[in-house]
Amino acid sequence: MEKKLSVSNLVVSFRTPAGKVQAVRNISFDLHKGETLAIVGESGSGKSVTSKAILGILAGNSIVEGGSIIYDGMDLLKVSEDDFYHIRGDKIAMIFQDPLSSLNPIMRIGKQLTEAMLLKGKARQKASREAFNSTLALFQKAMVESSAKGDETKAEELRTMCRNFDKFEFKHIALEQEYMSAHEAAVEVVAAIEDALFHIDKNAFEDEKYNLNEIIRLTKQVGNDYVVCGRELEEVNRLAGELGKVSGGEIKKKEYPETIRILTRIKDIVAGSLKKAEPDFFNMGYYITFSGESLPDLPVPELNAFLRKYTEEHFMAKFRRYAAEALAYSDEGHKALKRKALEMLIEKRKVFQEEHLDKEACFQAARALTQAVEESIDKLEIVKDSVAYTFGVCLKSDLQIYFGGIGKNKKAALVHEKQQKKYDRLVKRGKQPSWKVPPSTAVDLELAKETILARIDRMTDHYKELLDGSRKRDYDRETRDLITFFKENASGVVLKVTKTMARYKALKLMEEVGIADTRKRYRQYPFEFSGGMRQRIVIAIALAADPDILICDEPTTALDVTIQAQILELINDLKAKRNLSIIFITHDLGVVANMADRIAVMYAGKIVEMGTSEDVFYSPAHPYTWALLSAMPDVETNERLEAIPGTPPNMVYPPVGDAFADRNKYALKIDFEMQPPMFQISETHQAATWLLHPDAPKVEIPKAITDRIARMKAKGGASHE
Amino acid sequence: MSDRVDVKKGETLLKVEHLCQYFKSNKAVDDVSFEVKKGEVFGLVGESGCGKTTTGRSVIKLYDITSGDIYFKGERIAAGTLSYKRNISEARKKMKSADGARKEELAAYIKDQQVQMKEARKDHKKKKFYTDIQMIFQDPIASLDPRMTVKQIIAEGLVINGEKDKKVIEKKVYDALEMVGLVREHAGRYPHEFSGGQRQRIGVARAVVMEPELIIADEPVSALDVSIQAQVINLLDDLREKMGLTVLFVAHDLSVVKYFSDRIGVMYYGKMVELADSDELFAHPLHPYTRSLLSAIPMPDPEYEKQRKRITYVPLKEHDYSVDGPTMREITPGHFVHCNQVEFERYQAQLGIQS
Repeated sequence: MEKKLSVSNLVVSFRTPAGKVQAVRNISFDLHKGETLAIVGESGSGKSVTSKAILGILAGNSIVEGGSIIYDGMDLLKVSEDDFYHIRGDKIAMIFQDPLSSLNPIMRIGKQLTEAMLLKGKARQKASREAFNSTLALFQKAMVESSAKGDETKAEELRTMCRNFDKFEFKHIALEQEYMSAHEAAVEVVAAIEDALFHIDKNAFEDEKYNLNEIIRLTKQVGNDYVVCGRELEEVNRLAGELGKVSGGEIKKKEYPETIRILTRIKDIVAGSLKKAEPDFFNMGYYITFSGESLPDLPVPELNAFLRKYTEEHFMAKFRRYAAEALAYSDEGHKALKRKALEMLIEKRKVFQEEHLDKEACFQAARALTQAVEESIDKLEIVKDSVAYTFGVCLKSDLQIYFGGIGKNKKAALVHEKQQKKYDRLVKRGKQPSWKVPPSTAVDLELAKETILARIDRMTDHYKELLDGSRKRDYDRETRDLITFFKENASGVVLKVTKTMARYKALKLMEEVGIADTRKRYRQYPFEFSGGMRQRIVIAIALAADPDILICDEPTTALDVTIQAQILELINDLKAKRNLSIIFITHDLGVVANMADRIAVMYAGKIVEMGTSEDVFYSPAHPYTWALLSAMPDVETNERLEAIPGTPPNMVYPPVGDAFADRNKYALKIDFEMQPPMFQISETHQAATWLLHPDAPKVEIPKAITDRIARMKAKGGASHE
Repeated sequence: MSDRVDVKKGETLLKVEHLCQYFKSNKAVDDVSFEVKKGEVFGLVGESGCGKTTTGRSVIKLYDITSGDIYFKGERIAAGTLSYKRNISEARKKMKSADGARKEELAAYIKDQQVQMKEARKDHKKKKFYTDIQMIFQDPIASLDPRMTVKQIIAEGLVINGEKDKKVIEKKVYDALEMVGLVREHAGRYPHEFSGGQRQRIGVARAVVMEPELIIADEPVSALDVSIQAQVINLLDDLREKMGLTVLFVAHDLSVVKYFSDRIGVMYYGKMVELADSDELFAHPLHPYTRSLLSAIPMPDPEYEKQRKRITYVPLKEHDYSVDGPTMREITPGHFVHCNQVEFERYQAQLGIQS
């Protein structure tokens, strides 16, 4: 599976008057495409901090001490604020915990919903245009160089080919867009009419004028050659006119039979037309742009076959062959550059190996390396090589940490002296402080140097692996990917977001998240909504941007069961429809059972257990997971709840051993002395507890949990039959 | 403090009759009736905006109710006047067309209604039993004054009720603190120095220091983490046994309500739609809304979750009240459902087959 986001060794602390609070202590996880990862833990366990680090919205007093968050060839901890504008909200969106503070109190809900759509719409159009043009230009260059080999007429032919591709691709998207909007309108007409008929039948048809006008408005959009056309369209228009007469005057109950007749007729026609097959617009775009003839009058399936054949003969076969050649050529060229970069990496490594690093020399070497690596990246590869892409920025920041650290350490030494004195004073008075004095170095220079060398080594290894020839690239598949890439960006350019469209989409989103009376609500201010309603607005705003990754930070904690279920279903639906990757943060394990593919349990800034949702629910391994599972009542719990005693530790002075040891009745002696490592239980399941050590005493999972699993199994089996 | 009227365990402590609470045209609570027996936990569930919190607040007289009566230990403590006003205006309208004996009858009726209305107003102003009902609020951060120490917060009720002896106050505050699992040293601190669970304990201590008979717990655990939630529920459970408390428990988390309550009332858009013992309600949910509510409970089990189908409740599809309107009817002893005659028979048939 494709990795969407990869967090490794993330360490985040906060500067506070009481000292440095270690919120996230070295966590790593991957998020794959189309999966939901749930992060579960108590408040203060660092789950929200992790999500905020991903979005780059950590509070001002935060210090990112280390690690990386790789997304789409970028390290999100290192990118500039300008670059983050293109990611935040657009690619990665977030549903916040507190709806009150994430809505603007002096802006109407409607404005807040459409604001992002309009702004992002423009930005996306521009970005798509840029991506399309620059990639096509690169591609054209590679194609001319690889296939023409100095032959000017051939080169010209290839250039025309690329230009043609540009032209008909946009035609294709435009045609498809027209079809899609008509098709969508048709689906909606059917749904709206069914709804109206239902309400008339139940004698509860309200807002007649608006509803009928809405249906009329929608019928005006269904006209398309492949949806509703010809005589059918004429009839629909005529019926809509009749409906307009009904809705124009005073609507009385006795006019309903007439209305029902018209509505049913429209519904039948439109529903019938929805069964038609969808034409192949990609090939049609080519035919219309370049054949100079009108489309043959054929049924859709045959038309599709005809068009495919035509395009294949005239264009696609040739294009694909040249494209594959171009890709191979570009790859070959970049391989040479990679070899050069590799040599340089090995050579320049010496600069960073010395006892005391020289600032000037180091930065110079880093610049040279960055340039070499960046040149060697093959931009025609659609799946980005994130190691190479992030190399330059990361190396620079590693160096900055090292050289900035020298100054910081002097300051930290002073602080350390002060704390040591306080500690000694306490010991003198005969007290045994429960905390230890943290080491004086704010930045471990040795470690920083190691990181720099590791970075270079990783790059070296990566290129060695790429160049040893064992990896075969499938150019045919990549050509297809490239064409898909062009298609996506072309649609990004063609798709315009207008104010009316944004309003319409916002109203639909509001309906989708379960807000009644949307038209009135659209014009209200946040204070006029209840807590649950506000949260739904926040969810609608996050979804409006159509993101790639969605981070949900306790989205349903403030909501009641039915709405919670609705929202969870909504998120699940969207995930399936748009192949979203979701990070779902919650303290309630009950909620994640039907959401999560994988679960990470966090405590005191560390991941203590991680596995698929079956692993965590059926064979939990960490005492903290046990505690969480048995603290939560379900509808059949009768015995006393097992509350977790005490509160999470103060992270200014993190405990030496396992952070959960104090509250853990299964704690061993070693738990107070040493932090447990991650034990691998199965391929997907891992947990950090000494209980998994081969020498540890055997401890059974608490009865409350095994009972529940058995009970649920019986219940699940019964409902199966 | 008020004079004690003893109510034995199992007898009616609180009775709510035809309670209506309207905010302008918004009928937040519409004709809700129920009884709470001494020593039991009565749960109120429903989605947000269905009026369960409003019901709780009306009982403690945070709102002046629009219509209906609330009895506590047999005495009326709150009453609304809208129903009388309506009766009077209707009778006046009728009077215009009536004549003779009928007219006199109506005049007498109006007089009677006016007297009753006056009494209702008088009863509503009574301050008896003020300290016998206490409330625990949802948000432990917003409901504690950040500029008062814990001791001041807990003692405030005592002071307002005329307790002047500092030693008595101190003792009561310490007792209350110990009862909720905090220690004396906490008394001098401010709310911000406590964690969420501890703050909610302070809220509980403030309620129990007045030695109430009825506690209205308005979503006391919704804002808390799962682990802390269990601590607070266990605490309430202990207090209930120790002090013989009666609790009106308002919450939207069905698992918690089921765990904690003896009887449960389900509310939907200001109406009580079903009322039964908690086991009975979960075993035989009758009203379609209750069924949809139960089908939405998430379970900590991935396999079961994959099979769970949520039932949606569309009132228009489920009921046909165009001819026969619904009322609260008793299907089996103690199990009430808001339904009309046709549905009543159907529900009885359902239970008949099941039992």
